[in-house]
Amino acid sequence: MGTSTRDLEQFLARAADGDMDAFGHLYHATSAKLFGIVLRILKNRAQSEDILQEIYVRVWERAGDFEPGRASIITWMATIARNRAIDALRRDKRHDAVVDDFDIDQLADHDDLSVADDAERNDDLRQLEICLGGLDDDRRSMVRLAYLDGFSRAELAERFAQPVGTIKTWLHRSLKQLKECLGS
Amino acid sequence: MTDREDIDMLAAEYVLGTLDPDMRRIVDERRTNEDDLNAAIADWEKRLSPLNAHYRDEMPTRDLFPGIRARIEGARIERERVQADNIVEIDLLKRKLARWRIGTFATGALAASLMVAVLVSDFAAPVSDRQFVAVFHRDDTQPAFVMSIDLDTRAVIIRPVSATLPEGKTYQLWIASDELGPAPKSLGLLENASAPTTRSLGEFDPALLRNATFGISLEPEGGSPTGRPTGPAIHGRLIPVEH
Repeated sequence: MGTSTRDLEQFLARAADGDMDAFGHLYHATSAKLFGIVLRILKNRAQSEDILQEIYVRVWERAGDFEPGRASIITWMATIARNRAIDALRRDKRHDAVVDDFDIDQLADHDDLSVADDAERNDDLRQLEICLGGLDDDRRSMVRLAYLDGFSRAELAERFAQPVGTIKTWLHRSLKQLKECLGS
Repeated sequence: MTDREDIDMLAAEYVLGTLDPDMRRIVDERRTNEDDLNAAIADWEKRLSPLNAHYRDEMPTRDLFPGIRARIEGARIERERVQADNIVEIDLLKRKLARWRIGTFATGALAASLMVAVLVSDFAAPVSDRQFVAVFHRDDTQPAFVMSIDLDTRAVIIRPVSATLPEGKTYQLWIASDELGPAPKSLGLLENASAPTTRSLGEFDPALLRNATFGISLEPEGGSPTGRPTGPAIHGRLIPVEH
């Protein structure tokens, strides 16, 4: 990438002071990452590009809220992007969203990870994967479909041919098991 | 299941993304003033965010930054315009208020009881031009009532702050607007001087409400005998709303 986390934090800090050029640098260094998130959830390029713009407006507005000690800047931005994408997905599901006719698997990973931020993140990921590995296959893929692809309870119910109530129970058990396994 | 577990699972599913839209909205609101919920969400974000590594980078088809920049600047211009409008509106409303006072005096039906306050509504918050708050002052110091209006639902809520109700009296709410004619129109009595009163203003259109002047008068039990406020107006004061 050529841009370090430290650089990104400085761009954001300057953006918080109203520096639009710095914000432009932040956009260009991070947009592919955030767009990957939004597109995988919304599966519609035009809508994803619209939502991505909203996301960066939100990042601009909240630039002053970022606390470096709590999460990495990329995680912080990714959280804003995921939340906004899921909101858009849920909102539009009410009036039949258009799903682009492209190969979704192209976006879905098969354990070929993109670059993680740093070694510490890799450790966190390894630990989480170990804990996910402790779940039954169905439940593990449920958690991944929900988190990575934005599946709702109802969509999971359909995919796994179970009542929504059962899905909720499974999700809660899986999440509790993960929490325990992660020891936090 | 304990409350703590409920909150933890609510936070977990919020972060996982499986809550329905209404529930997500409720969580968005609750987390702003519930520290334990907000902390639980942050913990779940920390637990699950390593999964973000599974998202693959993808380039948008074009450079979206000019569009983003335009949206940010558009929002800023709109905010400044709203603020400038408000300064003008305060001025207009003050004049409207003066006219109403004169009008009320001119009806001759006054003096019997005291008009508690007349009000200047209309302060648009930077992020919303649909919600307004106004404070009714008994005198220069103590607020007597706080009124809020939501233009989308056209619901008005009047909350007594330091209002006390003398024996045999009642408070009456009024609206004044050029479109409604020269005299204030009654919006009914405030049943209870110690609890909020909600009124639906569904019969008025939002544009009228936005520019209307509101008043509260102290009247004999059962409301004004003349159909108009029966006391001289004192004054209202405008406060900004921050969301």
